[in-house]
Amino acid sequence: MYPLVQIGPFRLSSGGLVLLLALILGGSMLARVARARGGEQLARQADNCFYPVLIGAMIGGRLWYGLFNLDLYGRNPGLFVALRVSDFAGPGALLGGLLAGYLWCRWNEFDKLRLADSAALALPLVQALASIGLLLSGEAFGMPTTLPWGVPLFGTMRHPTQLYFTLAALIVLSVLAWLSRRPLPVGTLAVVYLGLNGLALLVIEALRADSLRLPAGIRVAQVFGLALILAAVNWARWHIPSSSLTTQAETTPTGLQGQP
Amino acid sequence: MLTLTRSQWNLLFAGMLLFGTFFIAATRVRPLTSTAAPPALVSADTTPAPQADHPAPDFTLMRLDGTPVVLNKLKGQVALINIWATWCPPCRAEMPTIEAAYAQYRDQGFTVLAVNLQEDPRSVAAFMQEYSLTFPALLDLDGQVSRTYQALSLPSSFFVDKKGVIRAVYHGPMPRSVIAGTVEQLLQEGT
Repeated sequence: MYPLVQIGPFRLSSGGLVLLLALILGGSMLARVARARGGEQLARQADNCFYPVLIGAMIGGRLWYGLFNLDLYGRNPGLFVALRVSDFAGPGALLGGLLAGYLWCRWNEFDKLRLADSAALALPLVQALASIGLLLSGEAFGMPTTLPWGVPLFGTMRHPTQLYFTLAALIVLSVLAWLSRRPLPVGTLAVVYLGLNGLALLVIEALRADSLRLPAGIRVAQVFGLALILAAVNWARWHIPSSSLTTQAETTPTGLQGQP
Repeated sequence: MLTLTRSQWNLLFAGMLLFGTFFIAATRVRPLTSTAAPPALVSADTTPAPQADHPAPDFTLMRLDGTPVVLNKLKGQVALINIWATWCPPCRAEMPTIEAAYAQYRDQGFTVLAVNLQEDPRSVAAFMQEYSLTFPALLDLDGQVSRTYQALSLPSSFFVDKKGVIRAVYHGPMPRSVIAGTVEQLLQEGT
């Protein structure tokens, strides 16, 4: 693990490079999707949101990781601000990014829900790539397995949980791309994204060997995943009409490509 | 298109709540559940080299108190050889994580050999004290061990199993989960 890319005298972590690539791609994709769904104005708002959301995600990810490793971080508070690519937790990053995005949009009176829908279409690709970065850096590793697709890590074959997360992200992207061509209430794509991410966390986290844990061995990311699913279903039961989704009056513009 | 009545949504909500709670409880990490497993076949290569599946090149280095440490005498223990320097920011960032792993696993047969690269012993001692590090710091005063281990970037870490074979090599700071995963795996294995 930790294959390094040698550039002159420097050795760069390939996991970190993939993460950087994912973020660059995510920023570009967000603007592109926002432009397709809401024109130049929404694209500008998306550009404006990108860095505040990224910073919120970084703070949330590190705080979450530190709080669930308080025995280590409590004694070494400097680790909360240590400049390293690792020690970020996905659920914390999602919460931090959501909170930062909400506050930034509210502060600037941006179109929160349309931006959230655009982000939902851009984020799965970022997650898919970032998960490959985790595989390269040996993090988020799986339980031992004898299945033929196990990957060698720490001297034994393990579930490639990072690739499961990549696969899950690509499935989420496919579902959202399909839904984005249908007339849906604004915000539906974001809610579906959160719900499906919750489902992926609930299922795949069960195969991880390095989960952050609550007392009694409960995996905290699974609890977070279940909360996302329930929040998504709860939103749907109040916002999606009981007759049919297709009859909703307030709908999103069509598809990934089409202008409103 | 999807068509659900309000009561069907309610049913779905309750169903997910029940299923999710059951699934989380069923897949929780039990105290006796091991995340380690028997190792895959390790190469029988007998040539010492600073690479995975090769015997770790032996060395003798002095601790800060002047007592010698011989790597080959540590067989039967899992050892982390961490090559570092006080002037290296990633090394400094990694030290508390290594210390936490040392505190957690040393009673089970895990040891850390923090090989310092050519620094003044007083600086090393001051650093160890400042960071409250309890594992042994070894002084590679002439840099021979670091060269043998081809530590071109710092920190460089080598996990050595109970038989003295290098099982994993990492360059750059390691996350806590990676240290714990590697150590737990190697501790589970027999000598």
